[in-house]
Amino acid sequence: MDWKRFGFIALIIIVLFSVVVMIGQAKQPPLLIVTSMLATTIAVATPLTLGALSGVFCERAGVVNIGIEGMMLTAAFFGWLGGIYMFHIFQLPPSVSIVLGVFFAILTGALMALLHAVLSITFKVDQIIGGTVINILAVGLTGFLNRQLFFGSTSVFEGSVPSSPGVLPTVHIPITELFASICNSSAACLQNVQAINRVFDQKPIAMGAILLVFLSHYILFNTRWGLRTRAVGEHPQAADTVGINVIFMRYANVLIGGMFAGLAGAYFTIESVPSFEPLLTNGRGFISLAAMIFGNWTPIGAWAASLVFGASQAMLINMQIFRDVIPPAWSFLQESYIVGLTPYILTMFILTGIIGRTTPPAADGIPYEK
Amino acid sequence: MKKLYFVMALLIVASMILSACGAGAPTAADCAKEEVFCVGLVTDVGKINDKSFNQSAWEGVQKSNTDGVADVVQFIETADAKDYAKNIAQFGDAGYDVIVTVGFGLGEATAAAGLTYPDVKFIGVDQFQAWQFTEDTADDSANVTGLGFPEDNAGFLVGALAAMMSESHKIGAVCGTDVVPPVWRFGEGYKAGAAYADGMNATTTEVFVVYHSDVGFDKTFTDPEWGAQTAKSMMDQGADAIFGCGGLTGNGAITAAAQAGKYAIGVDADQYLTLPEAAPRMLSSAMKLITPGVAELIAAAKDGSITAGNFTGTAGYAPYHDLDGEVSAEIKTAMEDINAGLLDGSIKTGVSPVKP
Repeated sequence: MDWKRFGFIALIIIVLFSVVVMIGQAKQPPLLIVTSMLATTIAVATPLTLGALSGVFCERAGVVNIGIEGMMLTAAFFGWLGGIYMFHIFQLPPSVSIVLGVFFAILTGALMALLHAVLSITFKVDQIIGGTVINILAVGLTGFLNRQLFFGSTSVFEGSVPSSPGVLPTVHIPITELFASICNSSAACLQNVQAINRVFDQKPIAMGAILLVFLSHYILFNTRWGLRTRAVGEHPQAADTVGINVIFMRYANVLIGGMFAGLAGAYFTIESVPSFEPLLTNGRGFISLAAMIFGNWTPIGAWAASLVFGASQAMLINMQIFRDVIPPAWSFLQESYIVGLTPYILTMFILTGIIGRTTPPAADGIPYEK
Repeated sequence: MKKLYFVMALLIVASMILSACGAGAPTAADCAKEEVFCVGLVTDVGKINDKSFNQSAWEGVQKSNTDGVADVVQFIETADAKDYAKNIAQFGDAGYDVIVTVGFGLGEATAAAGLTYPDVKFIGVDQFQAWQFTEDTADDSANVTGLGFPEDNAGFLVGALAAMMSESHKIGAVCGTDVVPPVWRFGEGYKAGAAYADGMNATTTEVFVVYHSDVGFDKTFTDPEWGAQTAKSMMDQGADAIFGCGGLTGNGAITAAAQAGKYAIGVDADQYLTLPEAAPRMLSSAMKLITPGVAELIAAAKDGSITAGNFTGTAGYAPYHDLDGEVSAEIKTAMEDINAGLLDGSIKTGVSPVKP
């Protein structure tokens, strides 16, 4: 474990939170600020975490994937569209439509990844260009279909976007109920418990993403599959010599990565808001690439890095909420541009190697030729 | 290797072709004749029955028809932003007397068309028309009128409503960037309205207003996920009414508020009709009253009293729809009084036109 890196990340998150608490305590109790920020951090970090995991699987197997953004966007569109089709055309109940929508999103992610795999593994295209193709294709495809299906003259839905079956519900973790007895019916104590409960009341994909982080860590570092994946990413010739099917391992891991990106796409249109807008991923696929590098190509590191991005977003939102109580000496914090820069500046710091070098897999981006 | 480049080229070309699209043509009428008064409307990207700006503006045009002002009315639906100028030209070439263009996005194309067709009167809905093409301001389009709205009044109305309806006395607004003056006026009007309601009812309402100014201009209005997270953050801190002002970003906030069972407040048009997901919890919307504004300007264009530059229409608030039962009679009366006060000028929002 790279404790220096995690310590640095934890420090950053604590600093970001402390600044907000210091300023915001004039308006809100500190605990409420911290829990609300934590809840926001976890939710905002979800697509970044999944995107970063997508990158980790691809790149650990030796395939650079800068098409995460495009995979997310396409998956967001088709997951949402699939849900609507199931709901309106096949008249399925909303809950079933939503679950099928998530399934479609994951499938779409896998299909986009298959395209990337064919281009970069079989045809040995420059992987950066392959990923760019995916990103451009995603923008064109989703924009075009969105317009034709809903606003075109031959639209099934007659020129308007139909209501979607809804979004995944928040899963309530009964912390309040469990700990209510400790409070001895003290209202202040109960409020605190409720505030803490909010951190854990997340939606399914947000929770699933955290589980997937640890699952991915286990798979990559404790299973034969993981060892083989890392082997084809570090030294495919050697892996081939000992009888590992390099092409198969690369294909499989790129597809797994695509599924992660697909789930990240589902987060946007099925978990967060029940609608699709052209370009709605807004570059989050690229931020998750940064998170992957920030986390040194490890699942837990990538998650921690995603949390930094999430925390700075939470800080941004809260700095504006508390804008009128920012002391004059800190007035630069009113400029949301400055606060918004935090994660990018941090990424640059990390890339310079101040807190330890980041080392990509040795064969990352190099097509395998026997 | 050659084959490969071919595959790549094919993919790239295919993805680019997917981005192109066309538009329909208006039916020709006798508009070239002096005595026939024709009004053409060019929509922003989208359908004429979008239950929003396009539809409201078209209803204004239709009103001028039924009122006997306009003899022929026609519309063109724009399918792609690239077609703005082309669609306007279709009406211009057909000899229409008034061309109504709908939406901020058409502002530049409308001003440019004003120079190409000096005999045609242009009405730009939700546009600020002060484009200068040359040093000499006399060359400015003297036939282009932008129909703007007092956004601060609209924000004021829903701010007062939110403050009166809130039980936690914490309300929020999630907006696009405050660099865009109308967005700033909505957000600050909302604050002012809440303060006004506090003054009336001797309450203290905390107002959270967040502008999405932390990203590039291209993203500030198209980030529903950010809107939803920001609204959620406000609700985590106790807000129970959320005003979404700022395109798709605001829509994200509105749907998040509705999902959480809080009061959601829309913007521009009656979003109860445009956001079915949020409809059950839609309290009201800060509305730009486009239909009467368009009809009024068309009538002014016919009798020659129209002036170039900017015309300020009126703002309002949308009906309560499903939540009508939750709004008490006192609040309804108070809202009518505030609206009347804003209209006759006895209530001032005190919001500066742009961010100082």
